[in-house]
Amino acid sequence: MPARSLRAHLLRLLLPPIAALLVLGALVAYYPSIEPATRAYDQALVDVGISLGSYLRAGSDGYRVELPVAVDQVLRRDAYDKVYYRVLGPDGEQIAGDRGLPEPDAPPESSTSYNTVYEGQKVRAVAIPAKCGLSLCRVVVAETMVKRNRLARDILVSTLLPEMLIAFATLVIVWFGVKRGLGPLARLSDEIKARSPGDLRSIDAAGTPEETRPLVSALNDLLGQLSQASSHQQRFLADAAHQLRTPLAGLRAHTELALAKPLPEPARSELEQVHAATIRTARLANQLLALARAEPGARGDAAPVDLKGLVEAEADAWVHQALARDVDLGFDLAPAPVHGDPFLLREALANLVHNGIEYTPRGGRVTVRTGESGGQPFVEVEDDGPGIPPAERERVLERFYRVPGTPGTGSGLGLAIVREIAAGHGASMVIGEGAGEKGCRVAITFPRG
Amino acid sequence: MRLLIVEDDAPLASGLRRILEAEGHAVDVTSRGEQAVLAASQERFDLVILDIGLPQIDGFEVLRRLRAQPRQASGPLPVLVLTARDAVDDRVRGLDLGADDYMVKPFAMPELTARVRALLRRSQAHGGPRIVHGPLTLDTVARRAFLRSEPLELAAREWAVLEVLLGRVEKIVSKESIIQAVAGWGDELSPNAIEVYVSRLRSKLEPAGIKIRTVRGFGYMLEEYKEES
Repeated sequence: MPARSLRAHLLRLLLPPIAALLVLGALVAYYPSIEPATRAYDQALVDVGISLGSYLRAGSDGYRVELPVAVDQVLRRDAYDKVYYRVLGPDGEQIAGDRGLPEPDAPPESSTSYNTVYEGQKVRAVAIPAKCGLSLCRVVVAETMVKRNRLARDILVSTLLPEMLIAFATLVIVWFGVKRGLGPLARLSDEIKARSPGDLRSIDAAGTPEETRPLVSALNDLLGQLSQASSHQQRFLADAAHQLRTPLAGLRAHTELALAKPLPEPARSELEQVHAATIRTARLANQLLALARAEPGARGDAAPVDLKGLVEAEADAWVHQALARDVDLGFDLAPAPVHGDPFLLREALANLVHNGIEYTPRGGRVTVRTGESGGQPFVEVEDDGPGIPPAERERVLERFYRVPGTPGTGSGLGLAIVREIAAGHGASMVIGEGAGEKGCRVAITFPRG
Repeated sequence: MRLLIVEDDAPLASGLRRILEAEGHAVDVTSRGEQAVLAASQERFDLVILDIGLPQIDGFEVLRRLRAQPRQASGPLPVLVLTARDAVDDRVRGLDLGADDYMVKPFAMPELTARVRALLRRSQAHGGPRIVHGPLTLDTVARRAFLRSEPLELAAREWAVLEVLLGRVEKIVSKESIIQAVAGWGDELSPNAIEVYVSRLRSKLEPAGIKIRTVRGFGYMLEEYKEES
């Protein structure tokens, strides 16, 4: 499901009602203002009709309109519209004016206004009764709709414009209001984002608005459970380490004691296998524990750690391992301050150094470097052994994978652990060649302090 | 030497006892912390090997009680802590409480015996004025050195560097820590100068089979003396 923006969602919800309100508001403002204007224009037409009626004369040969040309011109004069008129006798016969101007459906008792069409144009007409002798004649006056349409348009614009401004302002207020309104949530998410994965303290509910309290308390419940689970796991790992390592130490002690004595040949080589397997099992147990501890949520608290100091503290043990395999282990150490879990960082370095020593032939060189490059702390281990072919460099990071044909008895966990630990510290890990395109060089570069 | 092993895992305890007895030590074993504290208060031991993960009172508490006891006449009782836990805190806590060395299980027996020897040597150096390393003898009171009973000429700085290395046989010692130990207040001593002293020491000691190994980019290690066969 794609993430839904609350803001877009609110706008989507609000837009149709706002548009509807806009139309309704325009209608409500439009009709009350167009009505009186129409009545006033109609009244002007009625006045023209009454004036015309006053020129109606009854003679012996029927009715006629004696309209001087000047008057006709005045009556028909209008700035925008064409004016038409027609005078009809009591029986509907044409007396004067524009023949064919439509009459209303029923003869008018009083003045009647109506819309009709004349000469293909929409016109507004009024019909009024006019005395002609003893009878009632009819006068029809009509005009085209130019000024009425213009008036309607003007009224519409003058009501719609402020309404649209109000609507736009409403949308802007919603847009920024939602952002402001969601501010406490954003601060909450910033606080959670800024935490390290191992930081499972409760979130301080003080200063958060009442509406977010249920969310905060639900999060705090979850954090509480997580932190309990995490401390259970830490305790389990510590116990497991103890339960595994103590008997392994005993096993190793006794095999080494036995090997120190003269032994007949098949027994000796068999015991040597047991001894090697004991050491391997201990290492595997260490690695599995490290892997479990590197899982997010199981991590200890991050602390400032200098990689140089970490290497110096382990150097003695590593040099003895290297001497046992006749490998020259050297160092090139400059301060490299990082923020992390000292146990995991030590385990990562130990795995890299162990790999270097393990896979370098007798008489080879392994070098551990720490320092800062471009402000980024790094540690790298370089050897002049057979190296890792480029095609294998991705696969060696998989758990339990070993490069085919590799001598020795590794578990295939070492580099997977290193990668896991590097990733957990936001560091990048690169496998490449050593100096002179020989051997292997694994570098871990940490984010800028 | 008389050693006390405090370890509740019976196979490991018996293995340790036999290895250390083979080294020529008299070894007592107990699996309980209270007994260890009691034994150390009543009898004289030269070294205690102490497991942290003991039932009832744990190794930290044993260490605290041992350190609270009145000191023996021959100086403080060396304690080598064994642990199966790998939390850095444990190591720091152990050393803070006064442990002299620290080993994580499982360990190689030669490493254990080397560390036991180093601790015993160090504690004896506290007591006696003579440091012996194979054919080399340093009389720290008379400030005279002998190699195969022949007097050995050592400059003051050479003597100081050698003393640092002799205090940490089979352990690597960084150039920085040698400088710190050797240079007096206001002295300027460069890493290059240390190299010069070490190379002079080598030319004097190597003919007698005493080897100082260079740890590239780090420092030096005085190897344990092995009788030439």
